Amino acid sequence: MRLTGTSGELHQVFAAELLDRIAWFVRLRWAAGAALLAFAAAAPRVGMPLEWGRVWLVAVVVLAYNAILHALLATWRRSDQADYRWLARCTLIQILIDLAALVLLVHLTGGAASPFLPFFTFHMVIGTIMLSARTMSAVAAAVWLACAALFLGGAGPLGHLPIPLEMRAAVLGALACALGFTVYLTDTVASQLKERGVRLFRLAEELRDKTAELEKLLAEMRAIEARKSHFMLLSAHQLRSPLATVKTSLDVLLQGYVDPASPRAAGLILGASERVEGLLRIVGDLLELAKLREAAQRAPWTSGVNLAQLAVDVADALTPVAEARQITLESSYDADVVLARGVPPDLEYAIENLVHNALKYSRPGGAVHVQVRRSGEFGVLEVRDQGIGIPPEFLADLFVEFARAPNARRHTAEGTGLGLAIVKEVAEAHGGRVEAESRLDEGSTFRLLLPLHGGRTQDPGVTKSERRVTA
Amino acid sequence: MAKKSVLLVDDDAVFVDAVSAVLETRYEVRTAANGREALTAIAAAPPDIVVLDVMMDHLSEGFDVARALRSSEASRAIPIVMLTGVDEVFNIRMEIGESWFPYDRYLQKPVAPETLLATLGELLG
Repeated sequence: MRLTGTSGELHQVFAAELLDRIAWFVRLRWAAGAALLAFAAAAPRVGMPLEWGRVWLVAVVVLAYNAILHALLATWRRSDQADYRWLARCTLIQILIDLAALVLLVHLTGGAASPFLPFFTFHMVIGTIMLSARTMSAVAAAVWLACAALFLGGAGPLGHLPIPLEMRAAVLGALACALGFTVYLTDTVASQLKERGVRLFRLAEELRDKTAELEKLLAEMRAIEARKSHFMLLSAHQLRSPLATVKTSLDVLLQGYVDPASPRAAGLILGASERVEGLLRIVGDLLELAKLREAAQRAPWTSGVNLAQLAVDVADALTPVAEARQITLESSYDADVVLARGVPPDLEYAIENLVHNALKYSRPGGAVHVQVRRSGEFGVLEVRDQGIGIPPEFLADLFVEFARAPNARRHTAEGTGLGLAIVKEVAEAHGGRVEAESRLDEGSTFRLLLPLHGGRTQDPGVTKSERRVTA
Repeated sequence: MAKKSVLLVDDDAVFVDAVSAVLETRYEVRTAANGREALTAIAAAPPDIVVLDVMMDHLSEGFDVARALRSSEASRAIPIVMLTGVDEVFNIRMEIGESWFPYDRYLQKPVAPETLLATLGELLG
C-alpha cells in the first residue's frame, strides 16, 4: 500500500477517511438496492424480458448485506481503533461482494447483452480510489474471467439472449479494455491527489510544530519581560530607601530639629554621605549588570584568557584590604588553566566580587583561600572563607538581585545585593556556572566553573533562550 | 503629664537617628532595628504608638510585627504607623489574600517631619 513509511497519525487520518467513504458506500448501496427493486417491478411491464423480473433477488441480497454493513459501521465508528489495514480489507470484501452481485445481475439480465455491463466501471473507480491499482487490477481480472465464463459458457436458461459468439467475444474484449483503462486512469489521478494530500498533511504538521515552538518562545519572552519589570520595580525601591534616609536627614538638619554644631548633626551628615555612597555603588552595579545583559555594551571577547593570571591580579589588588582586616589571603594556582575565549574585565570583576565578599564576611584572624585548577573540561576558580556563612534557607536566593541574607546585613551595611547576580551573569555568559556551599558560622565556598573550550561554540551576544531557537 | 512613648522600628540606623531627632521634640523615643527586637521591647514595656518599617531582615517583616501585635490582647490597642520606602500598592500585592490591614496609617518615606508629627499627634489624641 502506498502508505508505507507514513506517520502513525497520517495512518489514522486515512483510516478515518476510509471509514467515511465506507459510510458513503453504504448510503449509495441503499439507493442502488431500491433502484433495482423498482427496476425488477417495472421491467416486465414495459416489455423487457419477463426473466428480468428476477432481479429482485439480487436487490434483496444487496439490501440484506448492506443492512449488516450498516450495523457493523456503527460499531467500527464507536470502537475508535479502526486500523487502516483492517478497514482496507473490509472495503475490498465489500467491493468483491458488490461485484459478485453485479455479475449475478448481468447474468440475470442477458449476459453479454445486459444493460448493466457499464456498472462494472463504477466499482473500478471507487475501488482504485479507496484501495490500490494493483488490488483493483486483480479484481478486474477476476470480474472479467467470471464474465467470460458466463458469456462463453453458452446462453443458459437465465435470460441470456441468443447472441453470436463473435459478438460475445467482442463485448468481452471491450469489457477488458474498459475495466483496464478505468483502473489505470483513476489511479493516475487518485495517486496524484493522494500524494498532494500527504504533502499537505506534512505541511500542516510542520506548521503546527512551528506554531507550538513560537508559542513556547512567546511564553518565555513574556516571562523574561515580567522578570525585567519586577527587577525594575525592585531596583526603584532599593534606590528609594537610602534616598529617603538622605532626604529625612537633610530635612531634620535644615528645619532645626538638631543643633547644627552638635555631634548628632555631624553623625547625620556622615550617615547621609554614607547612604549616598551606597546609592552610587548600587547605581554602579546596576550599570554593570545592564552592560552584561546588553551584548553590544560588553567589553570585547579575547582568546586565550589565563584564569590563574586574572586570579593572581585580583588577589594582589585585594591584599591591602585583607591586611587591613587582619585576614590571611592564601592562593594556589594550576598554571595551565586557560579559557579558549572570554571577556577579561568581566571575569576580573566576577573574581574580585567573590574574593571581596570572602574578605567582607570573614572575621579578623580568619583565612581566605583562592584556588584556580583544572577539572575535566572546566577551569575552576574557588574562593573559600571561614566567615559568617550563609543561612541554609537563603542559599536558594543567593544569586537573586538585591537579595542579602539577614546575617550579612547585620555584619556590614556595605553591599548592594547585586554582586552575586553579576557573578552569575558573567559565569553564564561564558557558558559556565557558579556554585555555593556554606555552613552557617563556619564559612562559605564559592566556585566559578568555566568551560575551557565549551564557551566558544556559542555566540557571546546570544542569551540562553535565543540559543534554543537557533539550535 | 508624662510624655507619651513611641517605638521606632527601622533597620537603617541613620534614618532612625534622624527621625528620632524629630520625635524627641514631643515624645519619649525608643528604637528597635528589627522585628524581633521590636516585639521584645513591646513585651517588656508597651509603648503608646509604634512606627514600623516594612522591609527589614525579611521582605514583609514590618507586617509580621503588626499582625503579631494585632493578634495579641495586650497589644491590640497600640496604634501602628507604617513608615516605609515601599509603596502601599506594592506591599498589598505582595501580601495578597490580606483582607484587613494591620495598621492605622501608611506613610511613605521620605516623610516631612511635620507630617509625621501631625499623624502621631492625631492618633495619640
